[in-house]
Amino acid sequence: MFLRSRRRAVVAATSALAVMLGLVACSGDDSDPTEEISANRAGAMESYKVGDQFKATEPVSFSTLLLNNANYPAKKDWLFWDELKKRTNVTLEQVEVPGSDYNQKRSVLISAGDAPLIIPKTYHPDENAFVSSGAILPVSDYIDLMPNFKDKMEKWSLGPEIDAIRQSDGKYYLLPGLHEKAWQDYSLVVRTDVLQELGLSEPKTWDDVYAMLKAMKAKYPNLYPMTDRYSQPKPTGNLWNILGSSYGAPGGWGFNHAIWDASAGKYVYTAASDNWKEWVTFLNKLVSEKLLDPESFTQTDDQARSKIATDKSFVITGNAQALVNDYRPDLAKNPKAQMKKIPLPIGPAGEVNPSSRLENGVMISTKAKDNKNFVAMMQFIDWLFYSDTGQEFAKLGVEGTTFTKDASGKAQIVDDINVAGLHPKATKHLQKDFGFYNGVFAYGGNPELVQAFFSPEEQEYQKVLNARPRAPWVVPPPAPFTDEEREQATLWETTLRDYVDQQTLRFILGQRPLTDWDAYLGELRSKNMDQYMELQQKAYDRYKKEHG
Amino acid sequence: MVTGIRPTRGYRAFVVVNAIILTGVVLVTLYPFVNIVARSMSDQAYIISGQVNLLPKGFNLQAYGHVTSDPMFWRNYGNTVFYTIVATGVALVLTTTYAYVLSKKHLKGRTFLVAVAVFTMFFNGGLIPNYILVTNLGLKNSVWAIALPNAISVFNLLVMKAFFESLPAELEEAAAVDGLNTYGVLLRIVLPLSKAIVATMVLFYAVSFWNSWFSAFLYMDRQELFPVTVYLRNLIAGSTGAEMSGAIAESDEAQVDATIKSVTIVLTTLPILTIYPFIQRYFVSGITLGAVKG
Repeated sequence: MFLRSRRRAVVAATSALAVMLGLVACSGDDSDPTEEISANRAGAMESYKVGDQFKATEPVSFSTLLLNNANYPAKKDWLFWDELKKRTNVTLEQVEVPGSDYNQKRSVLISAGDAPLIIPKTYHPDENAFVSSGAILPVSDYIDLMPNFKDKMEKWSLGPEIDAIRQSDGKYYLLPGLHEKAWQDYSLVVRTDVLQELGLSEPKTWDDVYAMLKAMKAKYPNLYPMTDRYSQPKPTGNLWNILGSSYGAPGGWGFNHAIWDASAGKYVYTAASDNWKEWVTFLNKLVSEKLLDPESFTQTDDQARSKIATDKSFVITGNAQALVNDYRPDLAKNPKAQMKKIPLPIGPAGEVNPSSRLENGVMISTKAKDNKNFVAMMQFIDWLFYSDTGQEFAKLGVEGTTFTKDASGKAQIVDDINVAGLHPKATKHLQKDFGFYNGVFAYGGNPELVQAFFSPEEQEYQKVLNARPRAPWVVPPPAPFTDEEREQATLWETTLRDYVDQQTLRFILGQRPLTDWDAYLGELRSKNMDQYMELQQKAYDRYKKEHG
Repeated sequence: MVTGIRPTRGYRAFVVVNAIILTGVVLVTLYPFVNIVARSMSDQAYIISGQVNLLPKGFNLQAYGHVTSDPMFWRNYGNTVFYTIVATGVALVLTTTYAYVLSKKHLKGRTFLVAVAVFTMFFNGGLIPNYILVTNLGLKNSVWAIALPNAISVFNLLVMKAFFESLPAELEEAAAVDGLNTYGVLLRIVLPLSKAIVATMVLFYAVSFWNSWFSAFLYMDRQELFPVTVYLRNLIAGSTGAEMSGAIAESDEAQVDATIKSVTIVLTTLPILTIYPFIQRYFVSGITLGAVKG
């Protein structure tokens, strides 16, 4: 979720290039997919179905883009590569890209027609930029080669979610990672020892949060009970998202210009809705009563952390990782300090889980289609990313070497291997030394697998969140733009987004009175909000008519 | 130093104010360096709580041990040294010869050759065409992908051309009369007189190649070919570019320590910093003074 807007900027900038280079990368004809691939079955299994172990009938190799994470850089001697070769007869030729600039290199490679066949670690809507150039494969034409993908899609009823990533031609170009259950990681993190001191219980709703901050303020009048981070480059990306979600109008990281209003059966402009106004009013109240640090919206993460570390504030937002890696170590010198991530507070939108069940996924280069091993490659991707054994292998490794299973089938990483802080004294590391759970090949799956390395407290948290129904706007009906529409929409979106963020912040900080709301709506209209919504509605109607 | 002329009051006031302002500038410039060095020897907890300024707190050198024990760091460090030397060498030869030729007023088509160079200052083919060019020339994954596209910096070229033009033509005429050909004149007469500008160019080119990361990032597909700047960038920027949600956030064992980042910054910038004092003396010598007599 981090730096989502920067990603957008990159996408916007590169889409122009991608369009320009369509000529270079485009391969042209639109013949029947099943016909062309029949010649490209070298190495493929004759029959390959759910539950089968994929193994190429001859040694094959595929080029793949590999995000190189600074924390566990790729090594040639990873067990992952050897075991993968042993099980599937596949060697992956890696094009290693530093994680810091992965998206940029991916854009250059695809636009220059030099992309590897397999392009993993791609978040929707990044693939939009490459669709019109014809450089990436409409994978939806080939899912008959992928029994496990189809199986999971049906079993977990992911159809509507996948429909939402279809392009205006009705096809999708990204094989997304699939979760059985939504995984909402970010929430509020609270000093529970301060709660105890004040005799308060954990807040369940945002109103409780307000009451809690009020009580903290009464006891410690000289400080701001809550501060926040994730304000680079846009103000409190996380808080605006989780709070907005609770009101049915996510901002920040979760911001979409148009949001699906299920009751009205149409798209509405998120930042002009009453829901948006309500949470802005709520934050304005927190700031004006000096409960929320006004610096929250501009300070760096480190500044926010230092305020938590030095008892200047007791409440902040974060995820499980921020709790374990940042807040707790920062507070280690204060023995009585206790921090906990509380279940996402509930707002007017009710008890909802605002997370999507789709993860980052895989794009396939169009060149792959003409590769004689194409069918084998699709079977291989299906096995590695979507089969139960493939997912278990990519995440946990090899049974007996890196993990063991007890009688009930619950997997356990062996004692001498550390991962996610499970065995801090171990000499080896699952990611660094073995290459499993490396963020490129391992994501999604059933909850047991997704939560395999979660601490008990995080599992507890997920239990609460998983019991909540999915928020209605998480799976909107498809309304994809055509290329020309997207170009126009992007222009409008950029000005609108800047204006929304700027004015929302002014309302929150009290620099602009909330009585000015109607004037604000007029200003949005002058920035083409209505035309934008018309375009959105047009795209929705067209898609419904053509692909309904 | 001229003595006997008494500085005016205005001048003395100027000197004082000047000294104060320059000292301020020095402090502002120096502070980030000192701060990074202090951080590199401090305990993580003090850095996070914002207590490390000029002096290390919770002094320890563990982070140095940690960084220097990573073989990939040294591998990439070696690459940086290698790329810098090769690229600077290539750049120096090409820039010097080009600039020397351009400095000759009697050269036919000189305006055109200058225009060709200057044109590239304002226009270029763009990222993707450059990438396709370099790839099709087969330069990818080799030092030439870094050295050749950046071999001539037009700014440096023009500086060098201006310097050569300022050399007295009589020197070269005399050399030619004594039987030297063009290359002899360049190598035996002009270059020895141009140590100052050559040293400056070495510095300019070396610093820019040492610090550059983008061409290596673009044209290198394996981490053992990366220069240390790419290593550093990946370490500091982390995986933020690829979005910190999902599996990455879940699987990030720990954010790289603030200490480790600082250590890597110190180790990476140190060598190029230490070059300055050795080259700096060339900046001040006025070598052509008195070269022509009569």
